[in-house]
Amino acid sequence: MTSSPWTRRLLAVIGIFGLVFLTVPILIVIPMSFSSAKALTFPPPGFSLRWYEAFFGDPRWMEAMATSAGVAVVSSLLALVLGGLAAYGLRRGSFAGRDWAEGNFMAPLIVPTIIVAIALYLGLAKIGLLGSLLGLVVAHTILNVPLVMMVMGVAIREFDPRIEQVAWSLGASWRTTVWKVMLPNLAPSVFAAWIFAFIGSFDEVIVTSFIAGKYETVPKKMFNELVLEVNPIITAVATLLIGLTVLALAAITIVLARAGKLKQTLA
Amino acid sequence: MSDIRLEGVTRRYGTVAAADNVDLAVAQGEFVTILGPSGSGKTTLLSLIAGLNRPTAGRIFIGGRDVTEATAQERNIGLVFQSYALFPHMTVLENVLFPLGVRKITGAPARARALEALKLVRLEGLQDRRPSQLSGGQQQRVALARAIVFKPDILLLDEPLGALDRKLREDLQVELKQLQRTLGVTTLLVTHDQEEALSLSDRIMVLNHGKTQQVAAPTEAYLRPANRFVAEFLGIANFVGLDGGRTGVVRPERVRLGPVGVDGGRSARVVEAVYLGQMVRYHLALEGGEGAPIVAAAPFVGKAWQAGEPVAVSWDAADIWPVA
Repeated sequence: MTSSPWTRRLLAVIGIFGLVFLTVPILIVIPMSFSSAKALTFPPPGFSLRWYEAFFGDPRWMEAMATSAGVAVVSSLLALVLGGLAAYGLRRGSFAGRDWAEGNFMAPLIVPTIIVAIALYLGLAKIGLLGSLLGLVVAHTILNVPLVMMVMGVAIREFDPRIEQVAWSLGASWRTTVWKVMLPNLAPSVFAAWIFAFIGSFDEVIVTSFIAGKYETVPKKMFNELVLEVNPIITAVATLLIGLTVLALAAITIVLARAGKLKQTLA
Repeated sequence: MSDIRLEGVTRRYGTVAAADNVDLAVAQGEFVTILGPSGSGKTTLLSLIAGLNRPTAGRIFIGGRDVTEATAQERNIGLVFQSYALFPHMTVLENVLFPLGVRKITGAPARARALEALKLVRLEGLQDRRPSQLSGGQQQRVALARAIVFKPDILLLDEPLGALDRKLREDLQVELKQLQRTLGVTTLLVTHDQEEALSLSDRIMVLNHGKTQQVAAPTEAYLRPANRFVAEFLGIANFVGLDGGRTGVVRPERVRLGPVGVDGGRSARVVEAVYLGQMVRYHLALEGGEGAPIVAAAPFVGKAWQAGEPVAVSWDAADIWPVA
């Protein structure tokens, strides 16, 4: 890109402003969660862990946490297997309707979430899974498959297909080739894809609100609490979620950077 | 150890035939090269024999067994690619052990066989390295060891030396030929490098647009090409008009140069003299200007002709081979 120093400076200022605009609200939540005040005030008058105690001491929050974690673990693993296989088939296969199939798998990422939510609501209602844990797992799996496919698709495309072909010629079955040749080399990307899917499920609120029925996940409960009253426990939960996301992204960055795959995957 | 037989092998992609009714018989222990420009279908042909691809029509036999419908796993073939295709997460030894492990050969016997294969490709002592710690030539030796350690019926080599620099390529050509002779394994090599084809093979199959142009011993294909394409693809060809409107080919080293007016011959002018070490290649314009320039190659001993000098050009009638 060619540009004058002034244009570049202007771009930098806009960029920094945008970044600050996006991160400041997130960062404000963190000191507020350690506030000793009874209501939401900024700056906090004193330091305390009362909102964390309230959060961990509340069985309903703990139940939501367990639901969120359980759904996230199961749906992210399912999405990893299904999305990984789909990515493999789409990258390696040549068959009629491949683009159509890829578009179909990627749709939940592109179509507005509210439309996916309504579609899942109607679909799950029809097969009697609306308001069930299984339905929630199914919905989150569908939502996370495109994330897995994106990460695994890049990894598989970068992996020389001739390495697989040689493995077959040496007598290795397709399954042995995947387990002993592909997965050990794609492990960093598999890990990254799984984390993305896990966080994707853990953070999900729109679809969950539509289909979870009596089940509460952490984001859904946060949303509901905010509607009723502004409870400072929310800031503690938000801080914990921010911490989890930052840690997860850091883990992905470290693993991919070590494998030298950071650029391709996030590009 | 087996022979290979292709009968009418065809592979179509839509309306394009990457392999078009190809017949070939490779005898047990023979080294045959499939030679052709890129897009000639030579790699398609190799992938059909390897079982990575299925023919649209025709049959493929290895050791008399019809393997047309067999998977790559069932064919017992040693396969080597230009890109080496080593398993990056395994050491050299683990790479070579892989085909043995798949065949349930483990422990000390497997290790002994793997080390023996590494010795054959002169990689003793490097068994604990990773592929990324090896040079290109060493990586290709590992790929070769991995492809021969399980005593495959046939060996398929897809441009195996294409990624290496010239000197190393020439060294490895010699080694490859010796290794193939020692093992006596039927070998099919694919390349676009005519020098490699000429130096390595017992016979050459020249391929263009998926069609066989000629199958012959290297000298035969070089001196008696079946058609214009083979003549031009294998080295430099001078086309000369013959009686009855036909065309013949004369190779550069059969073209004699001499001083004008001494032994007869047609007079010409040296356009360019290219010094190639052992040889000098002359590009000559015939007097009268008709026809393509003639290329002559002469050993570089004593006096060489300079650009611009007039020379007399001649060749024996016996050195002309009619191509069309």
